Amino acid sequence: MSAQALQPGAVVKQAVLLIASFLALVPTLYMVLTALKSDAGYAVDKLGFPRAPVIDNFRSVLVDSPFLHWMLNSAVLVAGSVILSTAISVLGAYAIATMAFRGRNTLLAVSTSLMAVPPVVMIVPLFVLYTRLGMVSTYTGAILIYAGLITPFSVYLLTTFFRTVPRELYEAAHIDGAGQFTILTKVVLPLSMPALVTLVVVNSLYVWNDLLIAIIFLQDDAKRTLMAGISVFSGRYNNQVPLTMAGMVIASAPMFILYVLFQKQFIRGLMSGAIK
Amino acid sequence: MDERALPMFTRRSLMLTSAMLAGGAALGGLSRGAAAQVKDMDMWYWGEQELPGLQKYVNDSVARYKAANVKPMLQDTAVVISQFQTAAAAGNAPDVQYLWNGIYHMESVWLGYLRGLNNLVKPEVLAASNPTLLSHFGGDVYRTGWYPLPMFWCYNKALFEKAGLDPEAPPKTWDELLVACDKLKSSGVEALGGGIQDGYWSEWYITHSLPQQLDSFGEAVELFIGDRDFRDPKYHEHWVKLEELKNKGFLNKDMSSLELYPGIDLVVAGKLGIGQSIGTRMPADSKATGGKIGYMTMPVFGKGKLAATPVVDVQGLGISKDAEDPAAAAAFLEFLQSPDQLKAFWEATSWLPSNTTFDASVIQDPSVRGLWQNWGLTPNISNVTNLVPGQFYERAAIPTGQQIVAGSMTGEQAGELAANTAKEWKDFNPDMVENYRKWAKDLASPT
Amino acid sequence: MTPSSRLTPYLYVLPLVALLGFVFGYPLLKIFEFSFKMVRGIDGPWIGFRNYQLILGQSLFWESVLHNLQLLLAIPVMVAISLIVSVLLAERVAGWKLYRIIVFVPFVLAIPIVAVVMKRMFQFSGPVNEMLRWMSLDFMALDWIGSSSVALWTVMILIIWRESALGIILFLARLLSLDESVTEAAKIDGAGWWRRLWHIIIPEMRGVIEFYVVVSVITMLAAVFSYIYIMGGGRGGPGTSTEVVELYIFNALIRSSLPGIAAAASVMLFLVTGILIFLLFNVRQRAEATQ
Repeated sequence: MSAQALQPGAVVKQAVLLIASFLALVPTLYMVLTALKSDAGYAVDKLGFPRAPVIDNFRSVLVDSPFLHWMLNSAVLVAGSVILSTAISVLGAYAIATMAFRGRNTLLAVSTSLMAVPPVVMIVPLFVLYTRLGMVSTYTGAILIYAGLITPFSVYLLTTFFRTVPRELYEAAHIDGAGQFTILTKVVLPLSMPALVTLVVVNSLYVWNDLLIAIIFLQDDAKRTLMAGISVFSGRYNNQVPLTMAGMVIASAPMFILYVLFQKQFIRGLMSGAIK
Repeated sequence: MDERALPMFTRRSLMLTSAMLAGGAALGGLSRGAAAQVKDMDMWYWGEQELPGLQKYVNDSVARYKAANVKPMLQDTAVVISQFQTAAAAGNAPDVQYLWNGIYHMESVWLGYLRGLNNLVKPEVLAASNPTLLSHFGGDVYRTGWYPLPMFWCYNKALFEKAGLDPEAPPKTWDELLVACDKLKSSGVEALGGGIQDGYWSEWYITHSLPQQLDSFGEAVELFIGDRDFRDPKYHEHWVKLEELKNKGFLNKDMSSLELYPGIDLVVAGKLGIGQSIGTRMPADSKATGGKIGYMTMPVFGKGKLAATPVVDVQGLGISKDAEDPAAAAAFLEFLQSPDQLKAFWEATSWLPSNTTFDASVIQDPSVRGLWQNWGLTPNISNVTNLVPGQFYERAAIPTGQQIVAGSMTGEQAGELAANTAKEWKDFNPDMVENYRKWAKDLASPT
Repeated sequence: MTPSSRLTPYLYVLPLVALLGFVFGYPLLKIFEFSFKMVRGIDGPWIGFRNYQLILGQSLFWESVLHNLQLLLAIPVMVAISLIVSVLLAERVAGWKLYRIIVFVPFVLAIPIVAVVMKRMFQFSGPVNEMLRWMSLDFMALDWIGSSSVALWTVMILIIWRESALGIILFLARLLSLDESVTEAAKIDGAGWWRRLWHIIIPEMRGVIEFYVVVSVITMLAAVFSYIYIMGGGRGGPGTSTEVVELYIFNALIRSSLPGIAAAASVMLFLVTGILIFLLFNVRQRAEATQ
């Protein structure tokens, strides 16, 4: 490491990474610094550090806009769809990975290829169907769609993982007289925690960050998600940039904090789940 | 949250659910439980979102009303049309329903979900409430007016003074406007504009400018469905005028990257001379500037009969086909138009009810009072963009203004685009053409 | 095997099949049906290929397609950025773990949030232009989001900024799984950095690069809605200058009440992505074979 640092190339490498890191952080820095400025302060100086940091913007955002309510809505959707999808995927992937049945390979192939189908292709019939069933603007309706959209990835990842569990473990459990379900819950799942964490991370990010499904299938003001709320919020306070940025800081805080706290899980999750 | 900035967006976006239902009878629907007694009535309404205090007013009103037991329900923005249409398809629509203007309720009329009010509500009450011409179809009227939304060009009187202009005599003709803009510009402020990034400024511009060349709204309908031609110079001259403002450098430079309400805020903040605004903003804007926000009709370039006529859009109430006792529902609508109720409306919402007999002496702010006298009480027209089919709105009404302001389209090209879009609409929606043509006949008179 | 145990696997996959059938199967069949109908509300009469004719004859549709194709230009840039950064990270230069945390940030932030922030940064009187003017580069201070000829490029900057993070993540995962002895051997042989990158590392990564390119093509053609929607204040633009096929479908369904038209456009988009998904499968299999 120290020998490397002496090479002239190392300086260039550091410079490249520094620039890349700076560019990756610029929007975040701008967002945070601007949120701490007053309107007048921002008008004078759009780039520098706030001279006299103010927190009024945060207060007005929280008082005037239902950010917490939107976050709660998003949280409900994330929890509902991730739990539903994980349960269904665990069962399905377990069968695909360990049991022999007709159509097994086809099911895996079809499910995997669905990963790449863009959601926009599915919205027209689902929307028409939901209109007919009165399921537009219901949590159930949106959770079903989200759960469906994230499931192909879950099945792919879990199947791959379950296949790496040593066969002897299954056989030992089987000899002990354990049924399939017991093997799954008592033997396989405890071993699969890393894969499950990855799933939860990647899928939660997907649902939390989605906009398309949210604005089409949750039109009700009271059910608006954080991302849909942001689009409303940003239009309304367009010329109060510091206030807008305070809103964005609040909106990005949950995922940002989780990322900083659980970087290891996040990075591992992102690196193995990068297909999403 | 205050959603005043958004009614149009939400209204537009929910045409979707409504039109979805148009094709077939909806399943399900809301059940109203046991059979209603004679004196029980349902009222579904919206408006607290743009007029805080309306809910309180409604609750107080039904408590005061003794002739029937009215159960009010405040609807969510997204479901105002779809919830009503779903219920109507299932035969369970409320007796009284809130209705936005123009195409936003005409669709329900075409589906047969609303009752004509001509033989239900007293003619003088109906007329005083100003349901606007856009509520007329097949010779009948389908709403009573509830509260008005005057639309106007606003200007900053302090900036006018600074530029050596008479703040009490805003420009009336196009030439006067150009002179005023020039003076504003020389005085160091940006002359005219707002924010067009989200597109609504473009819609409002059409609201004010297109009628200048029209003799009736029927003519507008024929334009939108391609029976008349936007390539005719007189029908795209308003876009040529916008181009002129652009070319003369009168529009604010950040107009393309600002949105509607922030753009109006510029006028209030004294950074922009002239803009486009709406009545519900007036009390707050007037207060914020110490009465320095003026209002005017758009300066005149056109020769149509509708030129220089103030624009007043009106939100309204209607009676559904499912009302068991339509006369009782009509009596309730009349009750809402009684003098005491009009006064109560003002007290609860600090905004005007739509009724020409409203005693305006209770209004303290001279600007707000003046606006009511000059807009609400004089002959006025409604918002022509309430006639626009969704496809035309997205493809032509919004982009034309945006492109002209961005300098990437001429007024003539805008006319070309509008003409093509109207033709396209006809190709895409052959089944809707007849309804519009019939509607155009109702709209054939000037006001 | 008893009959019940033969049924067991099917019981396990039943919920999966039902969910996928509902969210993918039903809609993918239904878009074909709808695309041949004049749908009003929930159904409508058959009209043959009329919807396709109308769409293909509409300039707006072709404009949208062109915009999607233009976005493909971002992909080479994304690949280059991802390659350079991931290779440097994989060399474990001093502080690489911290750098790694930072360069993943764009992927953790939600697109709508980033789009709102970028939109303010690129406003006509915003900080980007202020900076450019300060550097006396006035000619570069464009109306980034207000001008129809620039708006799509601005969106592209945002897309490159965020999607490159995905490339870095993917490439780094592959690089860290590489056998280091090869590059070490090359180093001892005295091969320079660029030579090693070009002749040893990139060939090793061919599979993952192909994979990333195909995924990115699908993204550019069919998954940029959030960027466009927010940057354009809820409808793209100015005007139709950032209209893409996704927005075309959205508008046809939501704003023009023409589900039949939206379905026909969906079918075309699905067929194009279908070919790409087939490609993706081949690419992935090859990538897995090399790993």
